[in-house]
Amino acid sequence: MSIQVSNVTKTYGDFVALDDVSVTIPTGQLTALLGPSGGGKSTLLRVIAGLDSADTGAVSIEGNDATKLPPQKRNVGFVFQHYAVFKHMSVAKNVAFGLEIRHRSKAEVKQRVGELLELVHLSQFANRMPSQLSGGQRQRMALARALAVEPKVLLLDEPFGALDAKVRKELRDWLRRLHDEVHVTTVFVTHDQEEALEVADEIVVINQGRVEQIGAPDQLYDAPANDFVMGFLGEVTRLDGTLLRPHDVEVRTSPVSADSVEGTISRVLRVGFEVRLTVLTDAGEEVAVEMTRTNARSLGLTEGTTVWLNAAPGATTV
Amino acid sequence: MVELPTPVKWVLRLVAVGYVFFLVAWPVGMLARRTFEDGLSTLSDALSDPDVTGALMLTARVALIAVAINLVFGVTISLLLVRYEFPGKRALSALVDLPLAVSPVVVGLALLLVYNGRDGWFGPSLESGGFTVMFATPALVMATCFVALPLVVREVVPTLQEVGNDQEQAARSLGASGPQTFWRITLPSIKWAVVYGVVLSTARAVGEFGAVKVVSGNLTGQTQTATLAVEAKYQGFDQPSAYAIAFLLVLVSIACLVVVAFLRPSAKK
Repeated sequence: MSIQVSNVTKTYGDFVALDDVSVTIPTGQLTALLGPSGGGKSTLLRVIAGLDSADTGAVSIEGNDATKLPPQKRNVGFVFQHYAVFKHMSVAKNVAFGLEIRHRSKAEVKQRVGELLELVHLSQFANRMPSQLSGGQRQRMALARALAVEPKVLLLDEPFGALDAKVRKELRDWLRRLHDEVHVTTVFVTHDQEEALEVADEIVVINQGRVEQIGAPDQLYDAPANDFVMGFLGEVTRLDGTLLRPHDVEVRTSPVSADSVEGTISRVLRVGFEVRLTVLTDAGEEVAVEMTRTNARSLGLTEGTTVWLNAAPGATTV
Repeated sequence: MVELPTPVKWVLRLVAVGYVFFLVAWPVGMLARRTFEDGLSTLSDALSDPDVTGALMLTARVALIAVAINLVFGVTISLLLVRYEFPGKRALSALVDLPLAVSPVVVGLALLLVYNGRDGWFGPSLESGGFTVMFATPALVMATCFVALPLVVREVVPTLQEVGNDQEQAARSLGASGPQTFWRITLPSIKWAVVYGVVLSTARAVGEFGAVKVVSGNLTGQTQTATLAVEAKYQGFDQPSAYAIAFLLVLVSIACLVVVAFLRPSAKK
């Protein structure tokens, strides 16, 4: 096991950032730490990197106890949300930094920097200053810089958080492909569930300083451990007391079984191909429903229509 | 921007220009005129007086040492104030500003109380160890350091805060030790602030009068700095020499201002 975090607690004054957290992160995988802002995921990453120290508990990396090691001795690569580029150095110098610190020969540094810039598609920018790069390019440079020292573990703190939506999506796909090429154990922090579900092999859901659930994306989505995980991974609504996803609610214009819930459509909102309904049940619940435009049209649903709701067979519920 | 009526604009301009003219430009201009009234002879006469050259050399030496010390401590204190949390940090920050608020004469008196050779706190024990502080170069350096202390710190602290510690953390995670991080990352990113602080300190160190007067003993040819020499020459009815030294001091200040003017835009980049 590549990274082992055992019973780590970290507080800032009264605020408990991490509350007795234990996580094991497997070698060679791409793991996401997912959770809301202020939930402790960045703190956990920084504790693993040695940039913050835990109040209690232990961190071991590749079997070596790293709890007391300073960051420069942990052999981890760290990528920051706001890139943390060395502003006074060229792109090539930025990437070469870790190698020059290690007193590698000039020829070796040059060759390695060349390879890495190739890897992150920045070869033609080697002599530019970071201020001449776009956000996405800066972040790729920061990634090359972190990879230069051949870290055992690559840690990324909201790496795409400061980028616009389109670049974000591109870089996300690119990170996945890069990981498949380089195979370094990678942990990245994100508050974007779509990003985590799309990119990660494994997701650790963290909330209020605690680990809520650990598992593969499908596992988390199909079998959430609790209301929080269910709610954080996608839209949810409540039907007859159970939590389920709005697209898992079946709508009919006549009752199909004894447990069908009767209600009236109070609101219809169309967004592109999708129709979002709000149904007020006779029991007084407001149920959110999502269906395709085609489906809604064939049923003739408008505001005021009386409908019967059922959870779709096979729906994920909590 | 509020658009002002034209007459008001002209009146404001006139007031501003007039104020600066009567307060700064005219007096300094008069000084230059007096210095060169008889061509270059005033200046050359003054510079052939060993007391004058001695005073100028002493000022240069004291300024150089004080600025060097101030540079090292200024940068160190700035790093402490910005990057570390410790008890008494606010008190330290306030103390750093103290020299701006306190009259230099008071600084001189305070140093005298602590370091004089007869009944000071440290003075007698230092003196018995063969190290004279008061009425010698060390006292001049100390007084100058004291008054110039905030100038480096107040330049470097905001820059350090603005730069943030992201780059330093990145360097650490890439394997750089503390000193490596400082020399390769921190110092290059604050270098213009440091240079600016040094220039200001130099101007201040060269021009210091009050504190130096108290602690120097004002011994002509020994502990008399340039500013003290101006006063002594003027009171000794050797006005031309006083003008000449004063003019040279003004030149140094102008040189500092020119350097600063050149640095300011590059510091903004």
